[in-house]
Parts: sequence; structure tokens; C-alpha cells
Amino acid sequence: MAEEGTIAQPFEFATWELHTKQRGFWSQAFRRLIRNRLAVIAAVILLVVASVGIAAEFVDVVQRHDPAEQQYRNTNAAPSGEYWLGTDTLGRDVWARVLEGTVFSLKIGFGAESIVLLIGITVGLMAALGTRWSDGILMRFTDLAYAFPDLLAIILFRQILIGRDWPILGTGDPQLPGMPGSLLVTILAISFVSWVTIARLVRGQMLSLKQLDYVTAATAIGASRWRIVRVHMLPNTLSTVIVAVTFGIPTRIFAEASLAFIGLGVPPPAASLGTLITDGYDNLQSNNLLVIWPAIMVATLMLCFTFLGDGLRDALDPRTRK
Amino acid sequence: MLAYTIRRALTMIPLLLAVATVTFFLMHGVKGGPFDTDKPLSDAAKERLNQRYGLDKSLPEQYIQYVTNLAKGDLGISFSNDRPVRDIIRDRFKISLQLGLSAFAMALVMGLALGIVSALYQNGIFDYLGVFFATVGAALPSFVLAPVLVIIFAVNLHWFDVLGWELFNYKKMVLPTVALGTLSTAYVARITRASMLDVLRQDYIRTARAKGVTELQVVMVHALKNALIPVLTILGPILAGLVVGSFIIERAFAIPGLGFAFVNAVLIRDYGVIMGTTLFFAVVIAVMNLVVDLLYGIVDPRIRY
Repeated sequence: MAEEGTIAQPFEFATWELHTKQRGFWSQAFRRLIRNRLAVIAAVILLVVASVGIAAEFVDVVQRHDPAEQQYRNTNAAPSGEYWLGTDTLGRDVWARVLEGTVFSLKIGFGAESIVLLIGITVGLMAALGTRWSDGILMRFTDLAYAFPDLLAIILFRQILIGRDWPILGTGDPQLPGMPGSLLVTILAISFVSWVTIARLVRGQMLSLKQLDYVTAATAIGASRWRIVRVHMLPNTLSTVIVAVTFGIPTRIFAEASLAFIGLGVPPPAASLGTLITDGYDNLQSNNLLVIWPAIMVATLMLCFTFLGDGLRDALDPRTRK
Repeated sequence: MLAYTIRRALTMIPLLLAVATVTFFLMHGVKGGPFDTDKPLSDAAKERLNQRYGLDKSLPEQYIQYVTNLAKGDLGISFSNDRPVRDIIRDRFKISLQLGLSAFAMALVMGLALGIVSALYQNGIFDYLGVFFATVGAALPSFVLAPVLVIIFAVNLHWFDVLGWELFNYKKMVLPTVALGTLSTAYVARITRASMLDVLRQDYIRTARAKGVTELQVVMVHALKNALIPVLTILGPILAGLVVGSFIIERAFAIPGLGFAFVNAVLIRDYGVIMGTTLFFAVVIAVMNLVVDLLYGIVDPRIRY
């Protein structure tokens, strides 16, 4: 079409410069994302927090003290060079505890969101591609899930899962050897309740994709059903799913912290940001810094995920582009 | 519209039955029974208690019994203090409702004001302040906000009380309301701003200005009327969320609301209260959604049922 550009035309596109290099959707989206300063800063902070937290589990340079080590002669110490954020009511290093809690909360966030994705995409796919009958059943099921307040259902599921000896999960008691039960129980309870939104999103996307001409074309040239779904349809739901996941992770962290706050958190010595805030809140009168540090960490994580999610949505959805 | 309302109300019945069924079996899936205490009861005593509350029957029998009673409007009695579940819900919900409505009022008034001011002074200092509040407010969950507010305003400044709830006693009302309502306020402000910006660019606003209507009237009458429609759709879920979702605030400020009662009931496996609360919450959510859909039809004449 390059020749047409040289002919005088009343159309605007005639004056457009031709790119020598074509950019794909993902490369364009990435360029849009890194131009969004807030989103980049948020992503960097998240990466730093996660890597420092994970590094702390293996190297004691960043963690400095063992988060479980109690020093009864040095409780509620003020922040100092030795204890960066002070010590708690049992003389444990708060900096080490906050790092440990952050990693735990991130594990909950990513773990629960992975299971949410797995269930959500499967159900969404089955609803969109199955018969009208199966679609009806699955959608009534999501209606039912919406009728429950989330936290209420999570509490019920948690109580069912906890205190039993599951074949793979273990007992949920950290004192007993085996699988990290309490972490997994919490993750499962949260994911069993939270997959509905993703399922609806995927179903909606798939239903509208099914109507598009290129899917008809693929069917016409004899592509198999599974190939169409895998190669032509699933990748097109990806951008919606990525945005939903970015907003989903902090929501799962939030759910776990809420559980902890009403007294259903992971049992000690394990600590999540939620249990740290709860412990700090119960010791407000003796040392109010104990609640401030994990609170700052939670707020930072929430803000970063929000900015990153907003940035990703702007970058991935061409309709919101300005 | 009456026909629509009746149809919607009727679809609630199977939904509630489904909620009752799921909760019933989930609840009985929780390990232990209501009479498993730290100091074990004698077998004879336990048997008598089970018999008295109908727990000696098989699970399907108990389920049929419960649903039959439910159809008659009987929610059963609480195992822990022998009171009718209906009375417990009524007493406890009164408090949760007061708390939820206060937070809702805050979200509505402050959210709308922030959103409108932000939109009117787009890219000005008020806009940046408004957007800043909406963003930070959205990142502060109530379990973070509550301790911080308590430390600053109750422990250090002594402006408000640390614990408790009492209607029309500002010392006990402000902190729980703000802690519960901030997230929703931020949300309302965000939606209002976006919707207001959209409406202010419409042709009919320019017409109104051109024919010499005062700016105040343009904003408050012409623009606001249409800008409120998207806000209205989120108000139902927000109100439902605030009324049924105050578990955390009730725990933080030791407020004896329904959320508190539910958590307690799960821990001691008080089956009647668990069932009653879940069903009640489901009804609240369903009714709120219905009300919003109906209001939507009234406000926006393009929508007809």
C-alpha cells in the first residue's frame, strides 16, 4: 500500500509515516506500560520487597536476626542500628518478623490466585464452550457464590479444612511434620470462594470471541475445536485475565489478613502481615510501633498492586487508551 | 414494573433455598459438634442435649426438619444461650445496621462531594487532593486503618474512645464509621469523578451554559442528575457490603454486631446462629440488588422492565 501514500488523498492516513518495523500486541503493550511511571515504580517496589523477603529466608544479611528468636531482656526496644524496627513484646526482631510476614502474605496472594485462576478459567471455559445446559448450571452456581458474603464463606471453608489429617495437606498444625498445612488450608479456603469473578470474565470473553469472523474462518479451514480454543481464543482472554490477577493478588492477601484479624489466622510461630497487625493491635498500649510497621507494609503492597493493575489495564486494553 | 419486582422476588426463593442447603452441609462438615467443650460432657448428658436439639437424627432428616421450619419462618434456637435465633439476629443486626448506615452516609456524602469537586476542578489542586485521597483510601483496608486511627485519635489525642459503639455518641461513633467507610468513600469518589467528567463534556451541558444558566445550576441540576446514574449502580453492593461486612470493625472496636456473632457461632458450632446469619445476609444482599435495579429503572427512563 506504500504507493498509495504518495498519491494526494483527502484521507488522514495518507500522511501517516510508515513504520519499517511492525510491533506486536505484547511489545506495544509493554512499551505503553513502561511509559507509565507510577506502574513502573510500583513494579520495582514489589520486586524489591519480594526479593529482599525471599533473600531473607536464606541469607541473614538482610534479615539480621532470626524472626523466632526471643530475648526476654530486650522486649519492646525502640528502633536502633541493631534492631532496625525495634523488638516486639517477646523481644523478637520486628524487621525480621515483618519480612517473614510479607513473604508469607505474598505466598498466600500468589498461591491463592493461582488456584483461583485454575478453577476460574476451567469453569469459564466449560460454561462458554459447553452446552446451554452446562452453561446454565455453572452460571447458577456462580449466582450462588455471589449470594454469600465472601468472608463468611471463607470462614466456613477454613473451619471445614482445619484440624483434620488430610492425605496430602497434612494436619494444618505447624508443630507436626509434613506439608505446610496451615498455609495451604488458608490458601484453599480463600480460593474456593474467590474464583467466581475470573470464571465470569473468561466466560464473557469466550462468548464474544466465539462470534468473531476469524474464529469462523478457523473453523472453515478445518481447525479442530481444541486448537481453536487453545491457539485463537485463549490468548485473547489473556489481557483481561492478567489485569484481573493483578487486582486479585492483593484481594487474597486482604482476605487472609481479615481472617487473621478476627482470630482465624495462621497459628504461631508462623506470621503473616495480618497476624502481625493483629498482635500489634492487641499490644497497642505497650508498643504502638508494632502495628505501624506491618500496616505500612500492607498499605505499600496494596498501593503498588493497584498502580500496577491500573497501568496494565491501560496498556492492555486498547479501548481505554487516550 | 410490579410484575418485574414480583418475578425477581420469586427467583430469590430457590436462591435462598440453595444458600440454606449449601450452608447446612458445609456447616456440618466442620469438625466437632456444638457440645464438644474443653471439659467433655458425660455421654448421657450429651445424648440428652443432642436429643433435645434434634441432633440425634440423621443429617438428611435434620435438613428436612430445618427447611420445613424455615418455610414456617422459624429459624430455630441457639445452642449456646437457648434464645431464638430470630431474636439474636434482630438484636445484633440493629447494631451492625447502625454502623453500616453511618459508614454508608459517610461514603455517600464525602464520596459525592470529593468526586464532584475533583471533576469541576479537573487537574487543579482540589482534583489532585481528591484523586490522592481516592487512591490512598482504596489501599487502606479497615484492619490497617482501624489501628492507625485508634493510635492517633484515641490513644494519643484522646478525642475519641478506643472501644465500643453507641448511636449519636460521637466519641464512640466516629472511629468505627471512618475505619469502615473510607474504602467505600474512595470508591464512590472515583466513580463520581469519572462519571461527572463524562457528563460535563456532553452537548446539553454546553447548551445549558450557552442559554445563560448559572454555573451552580448547571452542575447541581443538569449535570449531577445524569452523573449519578453510574454511582447509583454501585451503591447497592456498597451498602450491602457495609452492612454485612463489618466483621473486622466489630472485632477492632469490640462492637457486638451480627458479624461478631457469626464468627463466634462458627467457632462454637452454634448451628442455628450460623444458618440464620448466612440466610439473613443472603436476603440482605439479594434485596439490595433488587432495590438498585428498580431504582435504576426509575432514574433512567431508557430502561424499562
